[in-house]
Amino acid sequence: MTQASPKGGTAGQSVGAQVILFQVGGKSFAVDLALVEQIIEYREPTRTPLRPPYVEGVLEHRGRYLALVNLRRRFGLTEGGPAHPAVLLLSGVGKDPLVGLVVDQVLRVLSLPSEGVLSPPPRVFGIRAEYIRGVANAGGRPIVWLDILKVLTATEAITLLT
Amino acid sequence: MESRTLVTRQARGRTVTPTPREQILLFRVGDTVYGIGLRGLWEVLSPEGVTGLPTPPYQICTVLAYRGRKFPLIRLSELFGASASSVPPTARVLFMQAWGKPFGLLVDEVVEMIEANPARIAPVPALATLLNPAFFRGIFSQGDRVVLVLDGDGLGSMSEVVNFYGG
Repeated sequence: MTQASPKGGTAGQSVGAQVILFQVGGKSFAVDLALVEQIIEYREPTRTPLRPPYVEGVLEHRGRYLALVNLRRRFGLTEGGPAHPAVLLLSGVGKDPLVGLVVDQVLRVLSLPSEGVLSPPPRVFGIRAEYIRGVANAGGRPIVWLDILKVLTATEAITLLT
Repeated sequence: MESRTLVTRQARGRTVTPTPREQILLFRVGDTVYGIGLRGLWEVLSPEGVTGLPTPPYQICTVLAYRGRKFPLIRLSELFGASASSVPPTARVLFMQAWGKPFGLLVDEVVEMIEANPARIAPVPALATLLNPAFFRGIFSQGDRVVLVLDGDGLGSMSEVVNFYGG
């Protein structure tokens, strides 16, 4: 990771946030807790025709239907992955009212203090800064706070270096 | 032909609003089961008389010869990216009409006819497919099965069908 700069802002303003911490490909990521409606166990979706390569299909959850997005695949990781991944149910992201995000493992809820979140350098673990809201540190490990809307809606490939 | 029946449930001392039901034909393309309503569906045919058009886009659209006439035949396996080199013996043609133009849908197998509550057919998530959303009427659950319901009018407005009729 190259040098990151502190997030800009007017003195006295707080930009801290509560996030959910999870892992993909051995790296730690975070999304806004406010976007996460629920965390559920992974189950096989119904395959949909001509879906994007990182979309596994459609799930029904309590009467609602959601596309299941595999974040490993979105990040270009074609092999491996845990036997029992977790699914974050995200609401208010993009056109669909509900989206399922398949991740390797959900770790915990974390409060990111405003002074602890840095603006990203041009790339973090190979991921371009436009997909990243900020970078932080938890227990000595770097955390990439994702702009999940851009990750889900951009058409270009995103490559995670593991 | 549209088939809707109202199922009236009698409850003690109360008038119950009938639950609308619609017949949906379930069929398989590749490993996935899809559905289509009966509106505009005329017949289910065996795929004899299917020949290839001499020029592209022959992969998605071929020709169905039926009752002395020729009609466009959409190979759903090609459209859905589940293409196979041969037509299975269980394949059938859903012969239908949309926008006044007859056409066929080639499917791998007709599974069954079911009844569904049309109010429970929900929109297909936008992320779920790169295909034209007009091809899909919606999505619903039947037991453990999640079924994508196709839209006959949307499929009938495909450029391959329109161009076949010189549109």
